[in-house]
Amino acid sequence: MRFTIAREKLQEALTNVAPAVPAKTTLPVLANILVEANERGVRFSGTDLDVAVSIEVPADVEVPGALTLPAKRLGEITRELPPAPVKIAALGEQRATLECGRTKFKLLGLPRDEYPAFAPVEFNTGWRVKSSVLHELISRTAFAVSTEESRPILNGVLWEVRDKLLRMVATNGHRLALMESPVEVGPGATGDFIVPPRALDQVRRVFPPEEEIEIGKGENHLAFRSPIASVSTRLIEGPYPNYDQVIPRDNDRFAIVDRPSLVSALRRMSVVASDQTHRVKLSFNTALLKFTVQTPDVGEGQDEIPVQYTGDALDIGFNSSYLLEILRYMPSDEVRFTFKTAERAATLLPENWAGPGKYVCLVMPLRLVD
Amino acid sequence: MARIAVLPSDVADQIAAGEVVERPASVVKELVENALDAGATTVDVELEEGGRRLVRVSDDGLGMDRDDARLALERHATSKIRSASDLVGVRSFGFRGEALSAICSVSRFTVTTSMVDGAGTCVEAAGGAVHDVRETARRRGTTVSVQDLFFNTPARARFLRGTRSEWRATSDALVAIALARRDVRLRVTADAKDVMALAPAATLRDRIAALWGAGSAARFLDVDAVTGPIRVSGLAERPSEVGTASRRTALIVNGRSVRDLGLTRAAESAYRTALSPGLRPSFALEIQLPGDAVDVNVHPAKAEVRFHDRWEVERAVERAVRRALGVLDSAALVGAGVRTWHAPLVIGNDILPAPLASLPSSGGGVPLFDDPDPSGERHAATTGDVVAVPHLVQLRRTYLLYEHDDGVVLIDQHSAHERVLYERFTQQMSGGGASSQRLLMPETVHLSPRDAESLEGHRDALSKLGFELEPFGGHSVIVHAVPTPHRRFDALRCLRETLATLSGDRGATVHAGHELLVATVACKAAVKAGEPLLPDEMAALFRALVSTALPAHDVHGRSGIIRLTWDELDRRFGRR
Ligand SMILES: Nc1ncnc2c1ncn2[C@@H]1O[C@H](COP(=O)(O)OP(=O)(O)OP(=O)(O)O)[C@@H](O)[C@H]1O
Ligand SMILES: [Mg+2]
Repeated sequence: MRFTIAREKLQEALTNVAPAVPAKTTLPVLANILVEANERGVRFSGTDLDVAVSIEVPADVEVPGALTLPAKRLGEITRELPPAPVKIAALGEQRATLECGRTKFKLLGLPRDEYPAFAPVEFNTGWRVKSSVLHELISRTAFAVSTEESRPILNGVLWEVRDKLLRMVATNGHRLALMESPVEVGPGATGDFIVPPRALDQVRRVFPPEEEIEIGKGENHLAFRSPIASVSTRLIEGPYPNYDQVIPRDNDRFAIVDRPSLVSALRRMSVVASDQTHRVKLSFNTALLKFTVQTPDVGEGQDEIPVQYTGDALDIGFNSSYLLEILRYMPSDEVRFTFKTAERAATLLPENWAGPGKYVCLVMPLRLVD
Repeated sequence: MARIAVLPSDVADQIAAGEVVERPASVVKELVENALDAGATTVDVELEEGGRRLVRVSDDGLGMDRDDARLALERHATSKIRSASDLVGVRSFGFRGEALSAICSVSRFTVTTSMVDGAGTCVEAAGGAVHDVRETARRRGTTVSVQDLFFNTPARARFLRGTRSEWRATSDALVAIALARRDVRLRVTADAKDVMALAPAATLRDRIAALWGAGSAARFLDVDAVTGPIRVSGLAERPSEVGTASRRTALIVNGRSVRDLGLTRAAESAYRTALSPGLRPSFALEIQLPGDAVDVNVHPAKAEVRFHDRWEVERAVERAVRRALGVLDSAALVGAGVRTWHAPLVIGNDILPAPLASLPSSGGGVPLFDDPDPSGERHAATTGDVVAVPHLVQLRRTYLLYEHDDGVVLIDQHSAHERVLYERFTQQMSGGGASSQRLLMPETVHLSPRDAESLEGHRDALSKLGFELEPFGGHSVIVHAVPTPHRRFDALRCLRETLATLSGDRGATVHAGHELLVATVACKAAVKAGEPLLPDEMAALFRALVSTALPAHDVHGRSGIIRLTWDELDRRFGRR
């Protein structure tokens, strides 16, 4: 293997792939990046066995071939190189030289054979989607996944692919985020997938919004690719809990609240809220929303903001960090808060949102104790 | 000038009556107490055959004149009270005027006494009958010799034990007095051999070192706390030392050594959760309270007292000991127990974290650990907390380590978190309960019949802790809401493990109230060994830990903090 590559191209490839390389691993070869040179250019890949990222960049390939090189060191070297073409050449199976101007390195890697093979994925039965659509679905839902180890299913984002619709759902059992986008996918490609949020992060990072992404399915894998990049991931095995039945359809009270003022009131209240439960009491009254916090060893706080509300007065307790998180992803300046009783799920929806599709977040109240 | 007078019968009748002299030990106790009442600074005790043959007590106190020396042997003859009202708050050991007459009536008795160096009086008696009063020469002070105890009451003589066992009882009596009156010099010989020689000591700790050796004294933590009118001071054994040497307890109330089951229990209950079951601590506690709050006239040998408000005294004792256990000095030591730790003594304001309203506006939380490196200080901005958090390093994902002025401190992360949660949950149990997060999708948990049964018994308590549970036929239960004590908390696993532990531990369910449940939930909810902690999490844990009542001990009686002193390190590296 021997090729010459522009320093910026090498740098770009490495920054994209590096996040897929695990910081700690028991399998030494995973700390390396796979470098494969072919007629079209050079492909750089990294994986932690669950999620894999590859980037192909143009290069002047003299001799095709492949080997793996230590990701961290290669990245550090590249960052320090002068702006000149970089020449990388294999020395046998597991060593390479790197030259740039008058700078020369010899690096010890590992043979290509030791690098794990990527799971086969079929793109013919897949579908295509605009990257920006995926970006939006991911960014508005993935935050809600669970980090508890005991229920691995909730650690993933449910991606439902339908004829004319893409939907993503995530929950940790206390709160839930759901987003739908109208997209023509075609009947052949429908399915439900539980995707690790780490993979979705890479998708967001690797594919610029304007790109068209091809999605392929494997046995237990999903892969995303553009002409130059690809992200593939192992899926979490389902079934995902029936989220639809917990979405309240009979919440008959609602309030329209100004998002920035709700956020700042909640932030103020959080200062004295308990570190563990973040409990804040919301009291909805005609045209007025009151906040109360009482934390035994810390103190008390009160606040109020005007709202559009006409129902009966209602006190309801929430984990303020859940509310703040949801509000951060709400796309509109006003939000619609709906609820029924202090025990049932409340929903938050964007109000007067011009965006296509549908977005709803659920949050379960905290039991209030006096 | 005659100072002694015989009490009128109506006064004498109000004094707790009963056997004064049971064995040589009681003779020694009465005579030494008389010497101390007379203001002695040095007391010499001579014993032969464990006191059966001879007890002789000499002092350098006030002495008596000829008339008093004669009168002292009468029943109800005393110089210490005149009327029944003098009994209130009486500070002298004696007040009955019984001891000498009782001892004199069962022995061959001699008292030699003088009020000024030179001229003195000697009174001799046997079986209570005075047969000689004469002048003699003596330095100021008094010597009382008691020979052939019970020579005239063979039935009682038969109850006397061997020399060794009588000596043991006598020695206990002497130790009790020596602890209460550290200002006097006390010398004891038995069959002409020195068996005790105590110089005046400045502190209880010094006296204990003189009695039991410096190593023993190092086992103890200082106790000193004032609750209302009651001051409790003294020494309590460091929990990690309990059970490693024979147990010794001493209670001193207003300068008097007493037995008191209630106070002993109170001191022991301060150790609750800091000791393994079955272990009982050593301690020596002095309780000072107003004279009219305690009645000493309740037991013929004055071995017990009565408190007007017993509960208040017990509470003060428990609180004082608990406070002593709450300091870093109470944590276990690696290596020799050299007492070089100078951690501040007080942590919080009370046994339990007080609600905000009752905290003083400033200076409420004295930091437990002085910060070795002020630049490493981090304050909890949101709570105005004043705990300075040292630089913490996690070892083996199990221990937190930091550097202290006096050495290296290791904290067991699980024990620490367990202690924090235990105290928080205990508070929730007695207060309004925990807030709990309702679940979007209620979870059904299937239980074994045994676990389901233990759930039934604890359902209300679990609900106070934040678990909202609904029985669902068979042995299933629906979980509607769960507590959220920390970020990594896994509610269902905690519930399952708690129930399994409770049902596997049947005998222990009679534990005080919900203590076992709370301890179990705390244990299951706490971070485990092996979990990596972020710097912020370590700091938060540290801050929460130091504001607990017993930071150095987990809830099962094991050490939660261990210290390695610089002294010990220097010694091991041969720097000393
Ligand atoms: N070592 C002594 N030095 C001076 N006076 C003494 C001494 N021992 C006894 N006395 C005098 O003798 C009196 C009688 O002593 P005794 O021990 O019988 O009674 P008490 O000490 O007054 O009361 P109690 O019976 O409670 O001990 C004392 O009140 C005291 O005045
Ligand atoms: Mg006396």
